[in-house]
Amino acid sequence: MILQVVPGGPLEMEIMRIRMGGAMGEGPSSTSSSSGISIPESAMEEIKKFYGFDKPIYERYIVWVGNLFKLNLGKSYVYAEPVWDVITSRFPVSIYFGMISFLLTYLVCIPLGVYKAVKNGSTFDIISSAIVFIGYSIPGFALGAFLLVMFGGGSFLDWFPLGGFRSNDYDTLSSVDKIKDQIHHTVLPVISYVISGFATLTILTKNSVIENLSQDYIRTAFSKGISEKRVIFYHALRNSLIPIATGLGHFLGILVAGSFLIETVFNIDGIGLLGYKSIVQRDYPVVMGLLVINTLLLLVGNIISDIIYAIVDPRIRFK
Amino acid sequence: MSDKSKEEKVSTTLFQKRWKKFKSLKRGYYSFIIVVIFYIFSFLLPFFVGRDALIVKYEGEYYFPVFKFYLAETFRQKEVQGEANYRMLKEQFKQQDNDNWVLMPVYPYGPNENLLDELTEIPPTHPNNVHFFGTDDRGRDVLARLLYGFNIGISFSLIVTILSYTIGVSIGSMLGFFGGKVDIFGQRLIEIWSTLPFLYVMIILSSILNPNFLLLTFVLTLFGWMGMTYYVRGEFYREKARDYVSAAVSMGAGNSKIIFKHILPNALTPVITFLPFAIVANIFSLVALDYLGFGLPPPTPSWGQLMSQGMQNIEKWWLIGTPLIAMFLTLLSITFIGEAIREAFDPKVYSRLR
Repeated sequence: MILQVVPGGPLEMEIMRIRMGGAMGEGPSSTSSSSGISIPESAMEEIKKFYGFDKPIYERYIVWVGNLFKLNLGKSYVYAEPVWDVITSRFPVSIYFGMISFLLTYLVCIPLGVYKAVKNGSTFDIISSAIVFIGYSIPGFALGAFLLVMFGGGSFLDWFPLGGFRSNDYDTLSSVDKIKDQIHHTVLPVISYVISGFATLTILTKNSVIENLSQDYIRTAFSKGISEKRVIFYHALRNSLIPIATGLGHFLGILVAGSFLIETVFNIDGIGLLGYKSIVQRDYPVVMGLLVINTLLLLVGNIISDIIYAIVDPRIRFK
Repeated sequence: MSDKSKEEKVSTTLFQKRWKKFKSLKRGYYSFIIVVIFYIFSFLLPFFVGRDALIVKYEGEYYFPVFKFYLAETFRQKEVQGEANYRMLKEQFKQQDNDNWVLMPVYPYGPNENLLDELTEIPPTHPNNVHFFGTDDRGRDVLARLLYGFNIGISFSLIVTILSYTIGVSIGSMLGFFGGKVDIFGQRLIEIWSTLPFLYVMIILSSILNPNFLLLTFVLTLFGWMGMTYYVRGEFYREKARDYVSAAVSMGAGNSKIIFKHILPNALTPVITFLPFAIVANIFSLVALDYLGFGLPPPTPSWGQLMSQGMQNIEKWWLIGTPLIAMFLTLLSITFIGEAIREAFDPKVYSRLR
C-alpha cells in the first residue's frame, strides 16, 4: 500500500520564505543605489511600483499565488518577457541532454550489472567495479571542468568546443555539418552527466540480480531444465528490475535539478544555467517560477515512481 | 550476576564481530586509517605548512610565532609592514651570519598569504619546485590552500552530518515510536519538505543571506535531515514489535527509557552504514556551492573556489587538476570506508553502494 499525498501547501510555505528573503535582498540594494547616485524620491516610488515593491509582502504573495493558479508566473525583470516563455524556451536543451544521458545510463548499466552479477567475483567484475567506484568518487561537474581544461583547447588538446549548446553559425551549416556540430558539443557534457549515475545504477542492478539469483524460484526454474539464459533474462531479470523501474520517475526531477552545475560549467543555455543566472541577476520572478516548476516536476516524478512500482510489482496494490 | 555478564558478552561480540569483519576488508580498513590520520594531521597543519616560523632565536631570546603574533619591528625588519615576514627574516639572518636563526615549517607558505612580491611571473604561476602545485590568481600557494581546504571541508561535512543525523534520528524515532497520527502527519510534512529542489534553494538562500560557516551548516542541516528519518522510523517500527520491548513495557519502563535505552541502540545500523555516504554528499555540496560562489566566504581556502578560478583561467590546468585529484582521493577513500562498513554490518554477502 502506498499513500502519497499531493501537497497543496508545500510551495506556499517555502515561497513565502523566499519571497520575504527576496524583499530583504532587494531592500538594501535599492537603498544603496539611492544613497549612491541619489535618485529622486518620486522616481524611486515609480521603480518600486514597477516591480511591485510598494505593497506589503503578504499582499504581493497573495497576488502571486492567485496568478499561479492562472498559470501566470509574472514577467521577468531581465528578459522583459513572461516567465513562462523564458522557462519553456530553455526546456528543449535540458531535455536533450537529460534524455541522452538517461538512455545511455540505462542502456549501459543494466546489461553491465547483469553481466557482473552472473560473473560475480571474476576479474572482469573486480576491474569494472573499481572503475565504477572511481567514477562514483568524481563529482560530474568537477570532471566536466577538468575535461574542458584537458580537451577544450585550454592547456592541452583542442578536440572539443569550450561549452555551449551549438556553434554560433549553426543555422548556416549543411545538415550533415549540423549533426556533426551537435555531436561535437554533446560529448563532454554527456560524459559528466553520466559519470556518477553509472556507479549507482550498475551496482544496484548487480545486487538486485544476485539477490534474485539466490531465490528459490530460480532454483526451481533451473531444476525444470530451462537454459541459463532464459532463467537469467526471463525469470531473474524481471524481478530484479523492480527497484530500478521505480527510479524512472525520479528521472523527471534529476533532468532539471541535476543539470544545474553541469550546465553552468559548460555554459549550456538550459534550465540550470537560467536558474543560476536569474539568481545572480536577482530576477526573482524567474527564480520563483523555476522553483515552482522544479517542485512540481519532483512531485510528479514521485507519483510516477509509485505508479510504476505498482505496475511492475504485482505484490503492491494501491489501497 | 552470571546472567548479566553473559548478556554483556553477547552484546559486545556482535560489535566486535562487525569490527573484525571491517578490519578484514583491507581496502576499507586502510582507507579508514589513512583518512583518520590525515584528518588529525590536518589540525596540526600550521606546524608543517604555513607562513609563521615555528621558532625564532633573536638576540638571545626565543620567539614562537606559530602561537603568537609578532610585529615586524620586533625583529627590526624595516621593509615589512605589520606582521613579520619570517622567510625574509631567515634569509637576513643567514646573510648576517650571527647566532640568530629561524626554524620554518617544512613548507613555508600559508593558505591566505599573498605572494605577489615574491613571484617573478604574473600569477597564477606554474607548479615549480618552490610552489609544488603552483599559485592561484591572487598569488596564493595552491598546495597550502588544498591542505587547509581539506581540513575545512571534512570538518564542515562532519558537523553537518552529525547535526542532520541527530535531527533525523530524533524525528524518525519519534515518528516510529509513537506511530498513528503523529506518524502520518509527520511523514506528510517530511514528504513536502523533501520535494524542494535542495541545491537550488540552497543557492537562493546563500545568494540572499551572506553565507558564513555557521549559516551554511545550518542551511545544509535544514535540508539534509530527511533521509535518515525514513530508515530510523522503519527500524523503530520493527523493533517496537519485538518481545524485549514488551518486556520493558511490562516492567514499567517509561517512554524515554524504552526509546533511548532499549530501542535506539538496536536501531542504529542504518545510521552507521549511511554515515560515510552522507559525509561524501556533504563534501560534494560544499564544493558545489563554493564553485558557484555561494559557499564559504573568501578568503577561506576551499577546493570549489580553486576550481572556479580554474574555469576562469582555463589554460592553467593545475588550478582545476589538483583540487580534482585531492577531492577524488578523499571521496574515493571515504567511499571505500562506507562500502566496507556496509559489508561488515550487512549479513548478506555482496558489495553495495548506496
